[in-house]
Amino acid sequence: MTLHVTFRVGSVDYALPAAQVLHLESFQAATHVPGAPAHVAGLVQVRGRIVPVVDLRTRFGLPPIERTIDHRVVIVQVGTRVVGLLVDSAREVLQLDEAEFERPPEMPEMPETGERHRSGFVTAAAMVAKRLFLRVDVARIIGEEPSHASH
Amino acid sequence: MSEHVDLQEFIGAFVIEAEDLVSAANASLLEIEAAIAEGTSRPRAVRDLFRALHTIKGLAGMIGVEPIVAIAHALETLVGAADRSGGSLRHVAAEIALQGVGAISDRVRAVAEHRVVAEPPDGLIAAITSTEVAAAAPIMTTAIPPAWEARLSSSERQQLALALQTRAPVWTLAFCPSEANAARGITITTVRAGLGATGEIVKIIPRSITATDGKPGVAFDILIVSNATQLAIAEIASTDPDQVIAMVQPAPPPVRAGRELEVTDPLDPIEHDQPGSTPGRAVVRVELARLDDLQDQLSLLIVSRFRLEHEIASLRELGHDVRRLQEVVRIQGRQLRDLRRAILRARMVRVAEVLEPLPLLVHSLARSGQRLVQLEIEARDVELDKAVADRLLPALIHLVRNAVDHGIEPPEQRVAAGKPRTGTVAVSCLEVAANYIEVVVRDDGRGIDRAEVARRANRPIADDVALLNVLASPGFSTRDVATTTSGRGLGMDIVHRIAVDDLGGEISMTTSPGAGTAFTLRVPITISVMDVVSFQCGPQAFVVPALVVEEIIEVVPEISSRSLVACRGHAIPMVSLGAILAIDSGARARKALVVRRNGAATAFAVDRVIGRQEVVIRTIDDPLVDVLGIAGTTDLGDGHPTLVLDLNELGLIARERSVPS
Repeated sequence: MTLHVTFRVGSVDYALPAAQVLHLESFQAATHVPGAPAHVAGLVQVRGRIVPVVDLRTRFGLPPIERTIDHRVVIVQVGTRVVGLLVDSAREVLQLDEAEFERPPEMPEMPETGERHRSGFVTAAAMVAKRLFLRVDVARIIGEEPSHASH
Repeated sequence: MSEHVDLQEFIGAFVIEAEDLVSAANASLLEIEAAIAEGTSRPRAVRDLFRALHTIKGLAGMIGVEPIVAIAHALETLVGAADRSGGSLRHVAAEIALQGVGAISDRVRAVAEHRVVAEPPDGLIAAITSTEVAAAAPIMTTAIPPAWEARLSSSERQQLALALQTRAPVWTLAFCPSEANAARGITITTVRAGLGATGEIVKIIPRSITATDGKPGVAFDILIVSNATQLAIAEIASTDPDQVIAMVQPAPPPVRAGRELEVTDPLDPIEHDQPGSTPGRAVVRVELARLDDLQDQLSLLIVSRFRLEHEIASLRELGHDVRRLQEVVRIQGRQLRDLRRAILRARMVRVAEVLEPLPLLVHSLARSGQRLVQLEIEARDVELDKAVADRLLPALIHLVRNAVDHGIEPPEQRVAAGKPRTGTVAVSCLEVAANYIEVVVRDDGRGIDRAEVARRANRPIADDVALLNVLASPGFSTRDVATTTSGRGLGMDIVHRIAVDDLGGEISMTTSPGAGTAFTLRVPITISVMDVVSFQCGPQAFVVPALVVEEIIEVVPEISSRSLVACRGHAIPMVSLGAILAIDSGARARKALVVRRNGAATAFAVDRVIGRQEVVIRTIDDPLVDVLGIAGTTDLGDGHPTLVLDLNELGLIARERSVPS
């Protein structure tokens, strides 16, 4: 069993191995960075560190929603980079069995849009107590390639 | 004008040099004190101290800082007398010398900060001049080879006798400079450095010789205490191993290469025996401003690369094959990144150097507080930005001071508590992930009495985190009486401000009663400080370096509707910053920042200017936010990052796109 941080974006539950997660932060506001990719919500200062935050709704192609007190920033570390993931909520830390995670034969449909999940982000899925948890490729979500195009 | 600049540069150089010499003097004094405590002496350290003082006096004289000259002169006289009488200094003389060097150090600071340099403290000069050197030098009975004895000063004799007494390997040899040697890069300087690295050079004496070809030449007789092998020494001095002679018993006179002529060395050996001869990594000291300049130049390069990319894109649109050009630009991009990293590295100093003042601090605190304290420093090869180091040191000084003053118990109390008589303060530093270092200041003292702090703060304290919060609130004190060293209060608010607000780091603490306290500071390896203009554009605040803003002008509404604005009788183009940044600004621009690049001025219209302040700039290097025109972030005090804009880059973007105002 491995400890996972679970969070929700849209109506889908996601799970990240806790080892990748530095901490969870509540979310008030981020400093908008003009010219950064659209899915970059901005910069926040977390425990003295300046961290870019990726809005997972935008990244996953979901429409924006009103900010609520449930919004959380999941601070993850990928290599030497530290990035925040803005999620709709993050409430649970669960013990999940690694063996339960399998590469899904077909990408699950996004319940809200009916579209297939943007390819490449989901690496595995697990059914635990009748709940579906997706595991995503964080490195891919925070994409290495900078964007100068959007000025 | 240029003279003024030269003087400024010279003062900068003086400060750098003088700070080095002061820390060398302090190091020598600590060594001397340690020797006194062991009942021995360190003639070499006394001579080093003398040299440092002598050089400080000379430097200070050159820029006319008389108070430093006066103190250095008095100390030089005192230490010089000790040097001549065998190289030992009485305890009381060492103490007064420490005070004197401290007074010099204060005045060097004053010069650095362009303050008025205070006269020597009352009575200091008198105290120094009336101090008895009376170095009751331990009498050395070991025989020194007569051939050398006459050529050595008394302190050198003492040094040699000490080495012989302790059966340290002593060697004599001669080095003869020649064209062949010079061609191989071997000179007296390299020999001195090379031999110095293997041990202690006691004396180098030049003498005139007639070389085999009949021309006059010079040779150097060298007397050295070294653990290196005969072969290694010969190699360094480029001489025959047979001629490197061990001085175990009274040895034969040193090797003569040619007929000896009577020669008197015109230079006092102290004058030309360079203190900086210790080899190691070749080091050049550079003023920080020059590195900043280098960084500015680099950002210009980055901008011109952007223009190049743009030109290539235009060519491609015209149907040209630009693949090879693109390849070149790609490589250039990587080279620019490497260059940026290299410049950053050049700003780095070793933490071990930063911590150099601490031993002296602990020494004097322990003395005045009647504690027995040993300081352990572990910094390995960790490096950090000079700008961070300069800010971090005062915080560490506070922590170490607290540890000695409030943490470590008096020796009797420690013994009663079953602890070693001597307390330990340990400062360790290690690099943690992603450009942060962690500095831990730990003591094995009494710990912080949480209940007592809670009583004084008049609120319950649940754990160490809450305890630190109380300690770090301004003006909080656990002592009724201010001590001379720590003053009233623990100064933890200052430490907190430095680590968290100034450096954007973190601070944590653990303490346990009777066992000690440990503070951990986690700070970024690099920051830079800049004078900035802050302003509002749309819903957001931004800052730009004040240096680039030539002028701030009012924008008259009728004129701002066009893309030209009047500035000092000239019409200059104006662009809307909100438009460039694609920020919807409801408000009408009231001010414009005038920026000049290559003689051409541009006005950037903004909503409102907030003010001017000095802030810490933090670079943002995550690819997600690696955007042209954004140079970094800062914190204007609200805890949220504020973007630092590069108006020159944004101006180029504006020009390329012809953004209307």
